[in-house]
Amino acid sequence: MKIVTLKQLVSMSLFALAVVLLPATSFAELPVPSHITPPVGEHVGEDVPQPIEFPHNRHVKDMKINCMYCHTYARRSKVAGIPPTSKCMGCHKMIATEKPRIQKLTEYWEKGESPRWKKVHDVPDYVHFTHEKHIKKFVFDADFPVEDVQQVCGLCHGEVREMTVAEKKKPLNMGFCQRCHEANGGPGDCWKCHK
Amino acid sequence: MSLKNILENFSYYRRDAEAGGHHEYEHRFAMAIDLDICTGCNACSTACYAENNLPVVGKERFEAGQAMHWLRVERYWDEIEGDYPEQGAKMIPMMCQQCGAATCEPVCPVAATYHTPDGLNAQVYNRCIGSRYCSNNCPFRVRYFNFWSYYEDSWPEPLRMQLNPDLSVRDKGVMEKCTFCIQRIRNAKDKSQREERPLVDGDIITACAQACPTDAIVFGDTMDPESRVSKAWAKHQIHRGPVTAKKQKADEEIRGYRVFDELNVDPSVMYLERVRDTEV
Repeated sequence: MKIVTLKQLVSMSLFALAVVLLPATSFAELPVPSHITPPVGEHVGEDVPQPIEFPHNRHVKDMKINCMYCHTYARRSKVAGIPPTSKCMGCHKMIATEKPRIQKLTEYWEKGESPRWKKVHDVPDYVHFTHEKHIKKFVFDADFPVEDVQQVCGLCHGEVREMTVAEKKKPLNMGFCQRCHEANGGPGDCWKCHK
Repeated sequence: MSLKNILENFSYYRRDAEAGGHHEYEHRFAMAIDLDICTGCNACSTACYAENNLPVVGKERFEAGQAMHWLRVERYWDEIEGDYPEQGAKMIPMMCQQCGAATCEPVCPVAATYHTPDGLNAQVYNRCIGSRYCSNNCPFRVRYFNFWSYYEDSWPEPLRMQLNPDLSVRDKGVMEKCTFCIQRIRNAKDKSQREERPLVDGDIITACAQACPTDAIVFGDTMDPESRVSKAWAKHQIHRGPVTAKKQKADEEIRGYRVFDELNVDPSVMYLERVRDTEV
């Protein structure tokens, strides 16, 4: 029988502790804002390949850039909006210019084209959805700190800060919407959402 | 409904139709159409086609009664033996009357048509199974059924770009009808909410009212006493709710009537009678 020394035991237990704790700390779930009863439902969407593999995690988690810095229309229109290439170039003229993805972006910019980003979170044509009203109710009217807005966005978009290109993590079907509307006092009239 | 409930909320259940009946209305959208200044030009109908993604069905299907005009301009001639047949037709733009006591609603087997808090008869396309009971029960014949899938025929490739994204393109097998331009109502409400003010008269204008060259169509909220439509309704002595007594036509100036008012369906569209030369 092999004898385990105290030093080995300590290092092994430390390793085991690290295995247990590390994922828990790096993949900690976003806290749910206390004024919202979150919608319930999970979904595994298919991979949507994008022209440039945009790293959301780098921008959101590491650089702590607010969702609404790039998706600027979310607070004032139906759609959150894809930022124009000029917005990307606003930073990336100077930052990380040596990276291949940025060089690809610069190519697009110099040709005067925009990358054809594919839509990931697409609700059907017969649904009327506005980002504006949801942001107004849950962020601005609720005096929720705007710097933590990803907690609100994440209720429907999943943990975007852990993704590279966006993936659909929530079902975004009628039951998902309706249960949340019931829990948070949203409208229940058919014609409020169906068109 | 228990007896206790009835006794406790007696005044609520006995509320008359003029006060909204059993509905809790936020708005009651309505129209006033002056047939005296209507020229029958069909601009309203054309505007409706453009606004609401209505398919142009073609001659054969039109003859088969499958036209999809949510707003049609009906023509009526005086009889040949009448006094002045040479005066031409009388025109009346006919669209869904958004009845307060709509006959289409209770017959729908799947509740695809229902009454909204805005006083409109909603039609939920996704829920509709195409039984066509509602159309058969509508006294105005203003519900239209998609007998075909018109998407390919009516909007060949470049024409698809003109479709209004604010409402869906209906497919084969569902019933549809005038919505009082719900997409415009929705946008106006969103706008007023954004500006943190109540909805005022003139915020919402339907496509037909906007296109009318003579301003014969007035659209508004009858729950707002200051709106143009409320004033017109009051001036011509038209009230919400069932008809209680036969109107005395004492004053020539009072020309208001609602089509099929005697059926007590409480239509939301008031027409103003046309004044003929002979009658003046």
